Amino acid sequence: MTERPPLRQLLLALLVSLIVSGSGWLGAVYAAPESFRGETAWGAGAAAFLLTAALVTTAHARGTIRQLRATAAARDAETAARDAETARFADETVPEVVARLRDGAAADSALAATGQPQDEALRRVLRTLAVEVGRGESGKAAAMAASANAAGRMQALATSMLADLRDMEHRHSDETVLGDLLHLDHRTAQAGRLADSIAVLTGARSGRRWAKPIVMESILRGAMGRISGYRRIRLHSAVDVAIAGHAAEGVMHALAELLDNAANFSPPTAEVHVYAEEVPAGVILTVEDSGLVMSDVALRRAERAVSGEPLDLTSLSGTRLGLAVVGCLARKHGLTVSFRPSARGGTGALMMIPQELISRPKVTATPAPAAAPERITAEPITAERTTDERAAAHAPAPAVADAPLATAEHAPAAPADEELVEYGDSGLPKRRRGRTLAAHPQSVTRQPRPSSSAAHSPAESAARFGAFRRAVRGQGDTQPEAPAPSTSHPEDETP
Amino acid sequence: MSRPGRDDDPDRLYTLTGGRSRAETDAFDLVTLVVSECEPATGMQSEHVRILRLCEHPTAVVEVAAHLNLPVSIVKILLSDLLALGRITARHPRMTAGAAQLPDTDLLEQVLVGLRNL
Repeated sequence: MTERPPLRQLLLALLVSLIVSGSGWLGAVYAAPESFRGETAWGAGAAAFLLTAALVTTAHARGTIRQLRATAAARDAETAARDAETARFADETVPEVVARLRDGAAADSALAATGQPQDEALRRVLRTLAVEVGRGESGKAAAMAASANAAGRMQALATSMLADLRDMEHRHSDETVLGDLLHLDHRTAQAGRLADSIAVLTGARSGRRWAKPIVMESILRGAMGRISGYRRIRLHSAVDVAIAGHAAEGVMHALAELLDNAANFSPPTAEVHVYAEEVPAGVILTVEDSGLVMSDVALRRAERAVSGEPLDLTSLSGTRLGLAVVGCLARKHGLTVSFRPSARGGTGALMMIPQELISRPKVTATPAPAAAPERITAEPITAERTTDERAAAHAPAPAVADAPLATAEHAPAAPADEELVEYGDSGLPKRRRGRTLAAHPQSVTRQPRPSSSAAHSPAESAARFGAFRRAVRGQGDTQPEAPAPSTSHPEDETP
Repeated sequence: MSRPGRDDDPDRLYTLTGGRSRAETDAFDLVTLVVSECEPATGMQSEHVRILRLCEHPTAVVEVAAHLNLPVSIVKILLSDLLALGRITARHPRMTAGAAQLPDTDLLEQVLVGLRNL
């Protein structure tokens, strides 16, 4: 439809209506009888005028309506385009910019890499948003780095304090001092665990790396030693596997958090039981308490916290960091943690340590069978004689002190097929774990002079042992104890 | 000062003893001789197993401590646990080797003289 200017339309309408109404008016005036002509002229004139006015008004209104329709359509199109742009802004541009900022990009580079909206206002909104989010992100990153750094230092401090304490515990034999040192040791271990937790949550490197595989018993005790209620933990473990050194700390820490949870959410006198069990997929550690049964909601929340999802800092509740820490560690080391109601009435937490983290210790040398027949059958040593007085009353002087001598004599007869003897720093042969002196391959150690060993080895050993004891006692008045004169007691030589 | 790597054992001493720093008995001093009375059983604390293995022959407390690389006081606690369970016995060397236990030398001399006179 052709758009005509409203004025022309109006004039046209005016002209047409004037012609029609004018001719009508003329016709009416001529057709009317003479006597009515005056009135007719007036009346018809008024009618014609009204008609013209109505027509013109109508025409004007139509024109206006047409114009408004066109304007409205244009507006509609414009609005739709803007809606689309706003939607794209909200759904694509802003998330993209925020994602770039979260990845660590600066506000300007994030804006440059993203398509800018046409609208000036939206551009301004986007810029403000990018600057603010960028500031927040860099603030968060700085806070995390500062926390990680501080946690790392605290870890280092705690580790060296623990080492110092261990040194002191070896140095001070006074029981009161030792008790205090143990107390401090425990406190320091707990502080160290807290520092470890912060380090894990802030993504710092884990505190310690053990240079060697750690056996399961040490893992369990190491975990238990880091919580306040360690006296309530009961360990049940018969597995003899070890955890690889790089993962041992993580496993210990995760287990400590589970133990802490179990101890905190059970009555203060109830025991918490830990079981280690070997399965084809690895080792399962079960922590069972007899405290509160977790509700379904709590169970689901706990499962979610320890699932493999990346840590969301907003889900931290401030006071309960434990499960979030467990989740981080589980993700890092591939542990699987789950919860279930426990048969003990409380909650059971299961932690699966995958096979990759498990190293089996080399088969330790079984206690040498040669030692068995040499077992000293000294008569006076019986179960009921536990005190000095009783022993004194009954002992018919069997010179227990020469037992090592007797065994030393037997030693050359022991099978010499053992591995080579290790020598310690002091130059003395090291005794291996699980091996007795009798089982020790003396023949190997003394190969250069095998003939002489039987001849004066007992006396030599006796002198050494006596000197050892005197040195240990740090006093010279124990001379009468020197066992050298009694080397020839016959009963000691009977196998 | 501590050296890094010095403390290379994750279990702390108080976990070995359940927090005790004092032995329940005073049956042990440094030279008390310890003899194990039974074989190590499965599920025992590894220190107990080592003590039982080590003490298949009479061994002084201080020697046990040296082999376990533990403070003597801690070893005494471990030993007192084992003693309470009857898994080891302990005796003091002075009581066995001391002169008080032997017959009087005069008596022995008289016996010797008597024998020679036979």
